[in-house]
Amino acid sequence: MTAVDVHAFADTSLTEPTLTEPTFTSLPAHAEELRRLVREFAQTRLRPAVRRLDEADAADFDWELVTEAHQLGLTRLVIPRHLGGLGYGELGVAVALEELAAVDAGFALIFGATMLGQAPLLLSGDAGVQARFLPLFAGDDPVLACNAITEERAGCDLLIPEAAEHAIGVTRARREGDHYVVDGAKMFITNGKVAHYGTVFANLEGHPGASGLTCFVIPLDAPGVTRGAVADKMGYRACLGTELQFDGVRVPAENMIGGEGGGVFINIAQMNMARAAVAAIATGVARGALDLAIAWCDERVQGGKRLREHQFTARKLAEMAAKVEASRLMYLRAAHLADTRVPAPVFETATAKLFADRIAIEVAEEGMSLMGARGYVRDWGMEKYLREALGSRIYEGTPEVLALAVTDAIYTEDDGDF
Amino acid sequence: MSTYTTREQAVAVFSHLFEIMLRDETFTSTMRRDGLSVRFVHTAPEFEMYVDPDGVRIDDSPATAALAIKMSCDTAHALWSGHLLMPVAVAMGRIRIKGSVAKVIEFAPLLQPAFDRYPAIAREAGVAA
Ligand SMILES: Cc1cc2nc3c(=O)[nH]c(=O)nc-3n(C[C@H](O)[C@H](O)[C@H](O)COP(=O)(O)OP(=O)(O)OC[C@H]3O[C@@H](n4cnc5c(N)ncnc54)[C@H](O)[C@@H]3O)c2cc1C
Repeated sequence: MTAVDVHAFADTSLTEPTLTEPTFTSLPAHAEELRRLVREFAQTRLRPAVRRLDEADAADFDWELVTEAHQLGLTRLVIPRHLGGLGYGELGVAVALEELAAVDAGFALIFGATMLGQAPLLLSGDAGVQARFLPLFAGDDPVLACNAITEERAGCDLLIPEAAEHAIGVTRARREGDHYVVDGAKMFITNGKVAHYGTVFANLEGHPGASGLTCFVIPLDAPGVTRGAVADKMGYRACLGTELQFDGVRVPAENMIGGEGGGVFINIAQMNMARAAVAAIATGVARGALDLAIAWCDERVQGGKRLREHQFTARKLAEMAAKVEASRLMYLRAAHLADTRVPAPVFETATAKLFADRIAIEVAEEGMSLMGARGYVRDWGMEKYLREALGSRIYEGTPEVLALAVTDAIYTEDDGDF
Repeated sequence: MSTYTTREQAVAVFSHLFEIMLRDETFTSTMRRDGLSVRFVHTAPEFEMYVDPDGVRIDDSPATAALAIKMSCDTAHALWSGHLLMPVAVAMGRIRIKGSVAKVIEFAPLLQPAFDRYPAIAREAGVAA
C-alpha cells in the first residue's frame, strides 16, 4: 500500500462544507457542487460500464472505476478534514449516492458500505482508532471498508434491540489479556471481498444471544480471517456481498470501539445516520427508472401518438414523478436533520427509507409496464432498476424493522426542544 | 438520588472543568479556528453553561452557540467519569446535541483531557464517584 498523506486532498477543488440549511428549492453550495461532479462522473464514466458490471461474474470487481470515484473523494466524504477527508455530512453523501444509484445502485453501495465501516470510528469519538484507520482513505490508491453484522442464523435480530437476546449462533468475542479473540462468520457483507478492514459486531462471551454485542475494527488480512464466497445477487452486482469467516482472530483491545456491549448502540446510531443515504440510493433507483420511462414515452408512438400523450400513460408518468420528488424531499430533510442532531432522528430517517424503498419498487415496476416487452428485456435496462429496488429494501432495515422503529418513535415522548 | 444536590455545586464543578480545558492551547486554538462555541443545557439541577475560546459563562448564553448539548447533571457526571460512553449515551437519548454533526465528530476527540481531569475535580468538590 502506498504511503498516506493526510493532507493530499486538503486543497481539493471542492468547497469546504458549511452548515447551510437546504431550502425547498436548492441545496447548499457544497452539496450542489458535489452533486454536479458526481453526476458528470456517473453519466459519462459509470453509465457506459453498467451492462458489463451487471452481467459480470458475481465476484468480479471494477477497481478501475472505483479508483476514479476515489479520486473524486467518494471514499472519504465523511472523514474530518484533519484526517485527510472532506468533512461532508449525510446531505452531501446522500445527494452523491442518488446520482450514482440513478445509474447503478450496486456501484453506489460500494461507497455507502465504506461509509458504514467508517461511521463507528467517527461515532466512537476515539482519537486513537480514528488516527490509526481513517487516514488510510486519503492515500493515492482507493481503500474500502465494510460493516459486518448479518449472520447465517441472525439477520434482523441484530438490528432490533429487543430481539438481540434471542439471536442464535452469533459471532463470539472473548477477552484474553490485552486482546479479544473473535470466532464466527458473517454473510452478505458488502465490500467484504475487497475492504481493507471491517467493523465487525460480535457477542461478548457470557451474554445471551447478542445482548453483549460489541464492535471491533478488524483488518481483513489479520491471521484467522477468511474472505469467503460472494453471493450471486439478482441485482446490486457491482458490489460484492461476501462471507467473512473469523477463526480465533486476535484483535487488540484498542480496536474495540464503543465499549463492551456498546455494539448495539453503535449499530443504532450508525443506522439512524445512514438511513437517509440509503433512502437516497433507493430514490436514485426510482429516478433512473423514471428518466428511462420519460425518454421512452416521448419516443414510442402507438395509436397515432406518443405514449406520453395518452391520458393513461400521462397519469402513470405523473404519479412516478411525484413519488420521486416526494422521496427526494424526505431524504434531504432526513439527511439535514442527521447532520444537525445527535442522536440522528429515528422517525425522519426511518420514514424516508421506508418510503423510498417502496416507491422505488413501484416506479421501476410501472416503468417496466410502460416499456411493454422491452421493459422485460435486459438490453433496455428497465428490469435492472426493479431488481435493484427489491435489494434496497433489505439492507439497513427491512420494512418490518423500519416499521418497528417508526412506531416506537411515534409513541416515544419527546422532551421538547431546547 | 442525584449526584449533584445543589445547583451551586454542579455549576462550580462543570465550569471549573472547562476553565481548565481552556488553558490548553490546542483546545482553545481549535475552538477559535473552527468558530466553535458550546451551550451546555444541564438539567437536574438546571443551569446553562456557555463555553467559547474566551471563557465560561453561566446562564448567559448568546443565542448563536455553534453547538447546543443537553444532558442531565447525572449523565454529565457518568460521562466525564468514564462510566458512560458517548455512543451509548447518545443512542439512549441521554445526551442530545444540536448543531453541525461534522463539527461534533471533529470536536469529540479533543475532549479527552476532560475525562482525565473530571474525577479529581469532582472528588475535590465532594461529589461522590
Ligand atoms: C444488497 C444487500 C447488501 C447488504 N449489505 C450488508 C452489509 O454490508 N453488512 C451486513 O451486515 N449485512 C448486509 N446485508 C444483509 C442485510 O442487512 C440482511 O439481509 C437484513 O438485515 C435481513 O436479514 P436476513 O436476510 O437474515 O432476514 P431475516 O432476519 O431472516 O428476516 C426475514 C424476514 O422476516 C422479517 N422479520 C425478521 N424479524 C422480524 C421481527 N422481529 N418482526 C417482524 N418481521 C421480522 C424481515 O423483515 C424479513 O422480511 C445486505 C443485504 C443486501 C440485499
